[in-house]
Amino acid sequence: MEEETPLLEMRNIVKVYSDGTKALKGVDIKVYKGEILGLLGENGAGKTTLMKILFGMLKPTKGTILLNGKEVRFKSPADALANGIGMVHQHFTLVEVFNALENIILRMEGHGLLSKIDVDNARKKLQKLMDDLNFQVPLDVPVENLPVGVQQRIEILKMLYRDVDILILDEPTAVLTPIEVKELFDVLKKLKSQGKTIIFISHKLNEVMEITDRVTVIRRGEVIGTVKTPEATPQLLARMMVGRDVVLRIEKPPKEPGEVILHVEDLWVKGDRGEEAVRGVSFDVRAGEIFGIAGVEGNGQSELIEAITGLRRVEKGKVKVNNVEITGKKPKELYEMGIAHIPEDRTHMGLILDMTVMENAILGMQWRKEFSRAGLMDWKSVERHTKHLIEEFDITAPGVRSPVKSLSGGNQQKLIVAREVSKKPELIIASQPTRGVDVASTEYIRNYLVRLRNENKAVLLVSADLDEVLQLSDRMAIMYEGQFMGVVKPDEVTEEQIGLMMGGVKA
Amino acid sequence: MSFSTELRGYGKPLAESVLAILIGALIGAIVLWLSGYDAVAAYKALLEGAFLGGNFSETLSKSTPLILTAITFAIGARTGLFNIGAEGAVYFGAIAAVGVTQVLQNPLAGVLSGLLIGALWMLPAAVLKVYRGVHEVISTIMLNWIAFYIASWMALSVLANPNNPNSTLPIPPGARLPLLVQNSTLSMAFIIAVVASIVVYVIMWHTRLGYELRTSGQNPRAAEYGGINPKAAMVWSFLIGGMTAGLAGAVQIMGIPPSYSISQGLANVYGYGFDGIGVSLVGRNHPLGIIFAGILFGALNAGATQMQQTGVPLEMVKVIEGIIIVAVAVPGLLDLFVKPFRRGAQ
Repeated sequence: MEEETPLLEMRNIVKVYSDGTKALKGVDIKVYKGEILGLLGENGAGKTTLMKILFGMLKPTKGTILLNGKEVRFKSPADALANGIGMVHQHFTLVEVFNALENIILRMEGHGLLSKIDVDNARKKLQKLMDDLNFQVPLDVPVENLPVGVQQRIEILKMLYRDVDILILDEPTAVLTPIEVKELFDVLKKLKSQGKTIIFISHKLNEVMEITDRVTVIRRGEVIGTVKTPEATPQLLARMMVGRDVVLRIEKPPKEPGEVILHVEDLWVKGDRGEEAVRGVSFDVRAGEIFGIAGVEGNGQSELIEAITGLRRVEKGKVKVNNVEITGKKPKELYEMGIAHIPEDRTHMGLILDMTVMENAILGMQWRKEFSRAGLMDWKSVERHTKHLIEEFDITAPGVRSPVKSLSGGNQQKLIVAREVSKKPELIIASQPTRGVDVASTEYIRNYLVRLRNENKAVLLVSADLDEVLQLSDRMAIMYEGQFMGVVKPDEVTEEQIGLMMGGVKA
Repeated sequence: MSFSTELRGYGKPLAESVLAILIGALIGAIVLWLSGYDAVAAYKALLEGAFLGGNFSETLSKSTPLILTAITFAIGARTGLFNIGAEGAVYFGAIAAVGVTQVLQNPLAGVLSGLLIGALWMLPAAVLKVYRGVHEVISTIMLNWIAFYIASWMALSVLANPNNPNSTLPIPPGARLPLLVQNSTLSMAFIIAVVASIVVYVIMWHTRLGYELRTSGQNPRAAEYGGINPKAAMVWSFLIGGMTAGLAGAVQIMGIPPSYSISQGLANVYGYGFDGIGVSLVGRNHPLGIIFAGILFGALNAGATQMQQTGVPLEMVKVIEGIIIVAVAVPGLLDLFVKPFRRGAQ
């Protein structure tokens, strides 16, 4: 098999983003006709970037793409489609008020602006396609009224309708129920038997083991290796996926944790689409302890944190702080009980970008006596407070009255950390505290979290950055599909075990 | 916040608005010239009619309701709402002032009734928005029509003047707002509008409520995270905005001689709610900027009468007003003009 010419080859693909991030550092992959190739890796490993380059959505900084041995260049997804390459994105690209038929024939209606759409013919062609594949979607219902699994089939049909030979699926099972996953796999097997080639992007080990023929593992923009699936084991893949060099360690003296500050018991929370995002999670965070939650994003971490911080309804279960039940309490009450929250979404939740540094430096404290009395703001005091934060946290800002959007991402994040710490909390909930933050600020923020722990605060850390959780946590949980796969101590666990848990295999 | 640093932040928006006004005047002149009018004579008449001698009182008087309705829109815009319901609240403010002062012959009673009814009239839109997610553009525009017909009916029935079929009962002399300049239409109403603008400015930028309202408007999720209830903020925005619009209607009747009454078809309170939107935009949705924008529009309206005498139709002033508003609405217009000069200087 290795001798035959690959259907598709990507050679030495390098992608450097304009901010200097090296997303891909010279990636080579080969795809053979009629196979299902798994592309396995953690968040941010570069899987999606690589596939977006293949689909013509991103331009590689360097590297070549060979299709049937001939070099090709795609300037846009339309080019890729014309060459028989289609992609189904993790976030669907359907027009919600259109029905399936309208979505599928979109942009294929004909050439002129006023040309007649041959709906009957399109319907016939689609029906044949669905009969061949033995899966049906309702063609005349607006897609917004259809379940996610069906919407995904429409996306796949949309690609097949364009006669693609190579189908890229980006984390296709992330939004599906187990039954829908099984149905999807049946469709993929069918497509394979018809000679289609499929690239399956995933971080889920069992799925990759089940559906793929070969697996290429990517880690931090590099290919770690490619194995034939029958010769692989979940353990091997896990090691390849998360194995890493030891990065600089954060100084963390041993510490005996104190009493329980946060107690979470059998917590159930629903996600935005009404799905069970958190399914019966229980844990404690004690004073002087960093409790980390690792896991691939979208496994219920966001919903868990929003539920604890009063921003999302708790369906079932208990959350207690210092032995006081807090479920159903509003954020303001929680702040007054000594909780601080560094939210995962800096620009949409943590800050008001168009407002000034000063105005942002008191969000969630505006009612405190030092900042407002009898309803009147004391801007002088706010200014003093802000200058103090800027100085203590070494934040680079053009001025306290500049809009906060004029700060760099790292400085914006430091401002949030500074503000939350200045609430003098007993419990700090830090969600993705260093995402998109420069190295120096990252180091500062991580060290600060350790300092808070040393000062006997309770810290709950959620991060998709496994290194961060491993470095900072005293204890850590790995979350997968709304549940904890296990609670472990970072220095007593192997990479393989963590990789398995992140991929949905219980330790 | 010291006043000087605060002023510095206003420099750019001020320059942008002035530029827009100049562009509006320039394009207006071109339109006049193309239509075969003497643009210079027309503008001269316009300026004289707006500023010369006693005419400035007329300008300030005409600016009064515009300032107040512009504030309504500005509060909405600052809190994430596109509240165009000032129009309806103006009608009811006028009706309430006429009705209440028949019983309580006191200017304060009239002013308070305008504030109160304006706030009350915004409640349906606020409730629909907060509980049912009805967009305020839809609800307020429909409520405006409901207000128009209810107010028209009241003007023709309970408040009808038995001695004059063309207007309602007048505001009793004891409840009229005193004139600032004799033999003009400039009354205390203008002072009330300026004070209201300053009060709203203080609320929005120097109280916790204002901080919370602006936060909700800019980023409702951040507001919620910051312990603010964005829905409550919306309700406040509607209520305060309704107050100034209701006030506009009340003082428009209580302070304008000689009739001190609502004309047939609500003619002397009609349209201010919508004109206020443009004034607010030119004033950069800021209560203090709105005072000046209101005076500008007042001047254009006051000068239009004199300009008409040069043969230019009244509507031409509306064309100029429209161009100014469009010019303000074009983002980055100032940069377009300033950047080439900066590069040239280097």
